[in-house]
Formats: sequence, structure tokens, C-alpha cells
Amino acid sequence: MSFLHINNVHKRFGETHVLKGVDIAIEQGDFLVLVGPSGCGKSTLLNMIAGLDSISEGELLLDGRCINDVHPSRRDIAMVFQSYALYPSMTVAGNIGFGLEMRKVPRKERREAVDRVAKLLQIENLLDRKPGQLSGGQRQRVAMGRALVRDPQLFLFDEPLSNLDAKLRVDMRSEIKQLHQRLKTTIVYVTHDQVEAMTLATRIAVMRAGELQQLGTPHEVYDDPNNLFVAGFMGSPSMNLVKARIVEHDGVLVAQVATGDTTLALPIVRDREALSDWCGRDVILGLRPEAITDPASANHRDGNIHEAELPVDLIEPTGADLYVVTTLGDASVNARMRPGTPLRPGERTRFAFDVSRMVVFDPESERRIRDEQMIDSALEETA
Amino acid sequence: MSAASPAARRGAATRVVLYAILLVFAVIYLMPLYVMLTTSFKTLEEIHQGNMLALPGEWTLAPWREAWGSACIGLECNGVHGYFFNSIKIVIPAVLISGLLGAFNGYVLTKWKFRGHKIVFGLILFSCFIPFQIILLPMARVLGILHLANSTGGLVLVHIVYGIGFTTLFFRNFYASFPDELVRAAQLDGAGFFTIFFRILLPASVPIIVVTIIWQFTNVWNDFLFGVSFASGDSAPITVALNNLVNSSTGVKAYNVNMAAAMVAAVPTLIVYILAGKYFLRGLMSGSVKG
Repeated sequence: MSFLHINNVHKRFGETHVLKGVDIAIEQGDFLVLVGPSGCGKSTLLNMIAGLDSISEGELLLDGRCINDVHPSRRDIAMVFQSYALYPSMTVAGNIGFGLEMRKVPRKERREAVDRVAKLLQIENLLDRKPGQLSGGQRQRVAMGRALVRDPQLFLFDEPLSNLDAKLRVDMRSEIKQLHQRLKTTIVYVTHDQVEAMTLATRIAVMRAGELQQLGTPHEVYDDPNNLFVAGFMGSPSMNLVKARIVEHDGVLVAQVATGDTTLALPIVRDREALSDWCGRDVILGLRPEAITDPASANHRDGNIHEAELPVDLIEPTGADLYVVTTLGDASVNARMRPGTPLRPGERTRFAFDVSRMVVFDPESERRIRDEQMIDSALEETA
Repeated sequence: MSAASPAARRGAATRVVLYAILLVFAVIYLMPLYVMLTTSFKTLEEIHQGNMLALPGEWTLAPWREAWGSACIGLECNGVHGYFFNSIKIVIPAVLISGLLGAFNGYVLTKWKFRGHKIVFGLILFSCFIPFQIILLPMARVLGILHLANSTGGLVLVHIVYGIGFTTLFFRNFYASFPDELVRAAQLDGAGFFTIFFRILLPASVPIIVVTIIWQFTNVWNDFLFGVSFASGDSAPITVALNNLVNSSTGVKAYNVNMAAAMVAAVPTLIVYILAGKYFLRGLMSGSVKG
């Protein structure tokens, strides 16, 4: 029995079907991140867990108890809002202690609980201030303190970092992660930022247009995407998607990409069984930028490296990496190379393709073409 | 840029002209108040000498004492003080109750929306556009049925009913921009309907409370039509008494007493403006949400 079970949950606002049957189950201590573009229904789902939106159809189970019709205050859930939602007329201590006060916790106990949380979040010196006198990061901490002090079964975070500047966002992100590791709390976290999702989550649920696209560990979602949407949404720079044709070449299954004057043939090592049915048909190849490198940085041990000489269209140094843009088929392709690789636009150079990381999609249904046992082994890995 | 540059000089010249014009208007506006005040401190003989703008040659408080305690209004000669307290008795409950009801209406209409909330708000708003004169007869009938005719209690009811439209409008518009997330956060924290209102919304409503008090206080205190229609004799408010005082003087017009009585009638609204006005400028909402 899972700790939080979202069982075939639907949401309708009049005619519009916002959530079309979402199924998610997580264990105690999991950090679930709901991620997707705006309008995908992730915030609605979070509000439904909180009890702030009603459930049109389906069931919500928390620790085995159906909470569909339980009032928000009795769900044993705390929420951190995007706007922080601090009570403007109360001090920081008043804000943090308000939930306890409403639950009739005696003043002395309340004071102790507030002090404990303030110490944890390092806001002890702010307890007598009003929210108006705090900076963005401090307000964020107070909002988290208000959730933490109640020690609930489940924490909900609604895009909590989206109002902070870039530097503070990274700091707060690692603080939230540390807090989760230390307190072993169960968290459901909504964001549209896939980097936040990757760094924080133990489970990622990628959503689009009210439907769950994939639920898995960050590793699964990143390296083993279910469909083109997940592949394109997760990762920055995003996955290279190239049109190709599957052919058999001397008894070896390859993906052919016509590029300029030559044809690149990348051998298929992954999902070979499923792809053998696709001989002679068009597919879409997915390759992460870090799976295309300069030959020296490639991992040659497994023999899965396929090299090819291609033109350099553009170079984009980021400091840590050097992104090299070339053309495959009719698509621009990003490759990640060592910084300082001496390259100039217009030159030709050797690119090393790690074909073991290549994923293949059906261009019609946009679904991944994968072997059955791949799914089984993925399940084993998570179990 | 140096201070003597042509642009700067033109700016300064514009400002001088601007302030001069404003000063002229201020003087024109304040002139009646000045005449009222000086006249109220003059003796009758001095007034009859004719120089209206001169300062009193001999300052006297006698007109104020007479206006307050012994001027004749109708047949009784007890001054305006009884009517002054009538007005206080009317204005305090009328302002507090209409304000509180308006705040509740605004809270429900924005944070606990129900089917048809827009229509209800429209109907409440409609009451702002009904002219006073139209409701005189029906209201007199209602007060008669309620046995509140000719009493300060009746006037309180009239002013509450008439004020709800405006106070609801003020609070609804204020709470419309009050973040819903605060209400949701309070709900998750376990606060109920009234707790959310009294602990979260009301303390953050000081600016609109001040606006409402100033508006309602001025309207109720300065009201003459309802006062003269629904309260007579001993229960009349000060505006009615002032009118009667001026009209019931026999023989020589005691301008100094009239002016002193008029000042007595005007002072409470002035005090409300001076005390409450500074809260207009305070933004107490800052910092509750982002930004």
C-alpha cells in the first residue's frame, strides 16, 4: 500500500476537462515533483490534494485513508504557496504559530515549536518582524516554517522558488533538498522548471494537458523517456531529435540519417527486438547532447561509440562545457564537448556518438519504441 | 547640468506661477471659514460696524457659550448641545454597523463566492444610485411600523440601510485585490469563516476602514434631509437644530451665535479628517505576498 495514492483522478471545470484520469502512487519519504508546461493541470492536482479544489472523479488516498471529502484543515497536510501567502498583519512568529494556535496548542508549546523551526531555518532573529520587512528569501523561509511547524504527514509546495532571483533560487533549492534528506518528509512539489525537478525529486511525474506522460525516477525520466514530449521537455539543452530510417545492414540493425552528401548509419544497440519490426520505416532518433562528444571524451570501454566527421555550424562555450552545433538530416544538433576543444565554425571535425544512449520514437504516435524487458528491468530497478 | 540652465529656470518659473494660482484658490476656499471663525468671536456691536474681514477687536467666548447652552431653538432655549449629542448617538452606531456589514458583504462576495454573487452585488450597488427623496415616504411608513418614528434609533436604521451600498462597494473592491492564497493558507492552517475574517482580512483593511469611516461619518453627520423628515423636536440631529436656530431668532439676528453653532456642527467631521487622514497614505498590505 502506497502512502499517497492518486487513483484515476479527474477534474472538470464545466465543459473543460482539466485532469483526465491521473494515477500516481508514492511511498512515505518520497519527494514527488509534478512538472510540465503551464496549463498542464499540475497546480490543479496539488490544490486537489490540499483540498482547495474538489475532485470530480477518482480517489485520493493518504496513508490508506480516503481524503476526497475531508476538509483541508483535517487532512494533516501543509502547503507552501507560490506567493508565500504570509499573513500581513502578524509577525513572523505569529505567522508560523497560527496553525498551532488554530489547533488549540497551548501557548508555551507553541512558542517552543516556533523556536525550534526558526532555528532549523535560521530565522530566529526575524521572529518579531512583519512580512513587509522581509526579503524574498526570508519570506520563503517563513512560508516553509509555517508548513514545517505543524509536522504534517504531507507537504505540498506550489512553485515555491519561482519568485526568487536566479542565485537565491539555487541556494534555496539545495536547502529544500537538505531539509528533505534530514527530516525524511513526504513532499509533493509543483514546478515548471525541469532542472528543479531533476535536482529535487525522488519521483518525477511529467504532465501535459491533464495527462500523466511518465512517472519515474529522475534517471528514468531523463534517460528512458516514454515519449517525444518527455524527451523534449526534460533536459537543458534539450534532447536532439533527428529523423531517421531503420534498415538492416550486413545483418546489423542501423538507423540511417541522410546528412548532406553522406549517410550516417548509427548501429542500434538498445531496444533491438522492438526495432527489428521497424525495418524500412521512418523513426525519430533521440540523442542527448552529452551522448554526442569529441572522440577523446567519449567512453570507449563498452564499444558503443560510433564516430563520424561532420561540419561545425556554431560553437557555444558555457565555461564548463563547449556546445557544438552541427546538422544531422534537416535538424540542428547540439553536441557537448570538452571546453577548449580547438574548433571553428565551418570546419569539419569528428563527433563521437554513444549509441547505447540512443532512444527511438514512433513519429506518428510519438511514443517510444522499446523492448518489453526494458520496462521490466526498469521496474526492478525502482522496486 | 547647472542650476541656472534655461530649462531649470523655466521649470522654476512654472512652479512659481503654479503655486501662486494654488494659493489664490486656497485663500478663496478658506475665506468663509475665516469669516465664520472671526465672527463667532466678535460681539454683536462689532459685527454691526460692518467690517466682516477684520479680526475681532475684543475677543469673546460669549457667542460660543450661548450657542452651546442657551440659544433658543424653537420654543426651548437650551442651545445646541442636546442635538450635538443626538448626532453623536446617531453617527457612532450608524458608522460602525454599516461599516461592519459592508466589510462582511465584501468578504463573502469576494472570498466565498456563491452562485449569483454578481447579481447580489449589483443589487446592493444599485442602492447607491437611489436618490434620498424617493425613499422618504416608504421609509417613514417602515419606521412607523417599527415604532421608530421620531427617534434617533430610527435615524440610525435609515443611515445603516442607506450606507450598506457604499460600504459594501468599498470593501468588495478592496478585498477583490486581497490575495486568495492568504485565505487558502488560513484554511489549511485550520481557521474558519469568522477567524479568517477577523484575524487575517480585517487587520489588513485599515486603509479601507479609514475611507469607509470618513465617508460614512461625513454623510451621516452632515445629513439634513433624513434628520428633518424622520426626527423632530428633541431627537433631531444637530444639522436640523442649526437650521431651526437660524430660523427661530426673533428681532436682531445673532450672527455671532449662529456662526459659533455652525462651527460646533462642523468640528467633528474636521476632527475625523485630521485624525484619520494620515492612514490614507499607509499601505499596510505590503509584504504579504510577492513584490
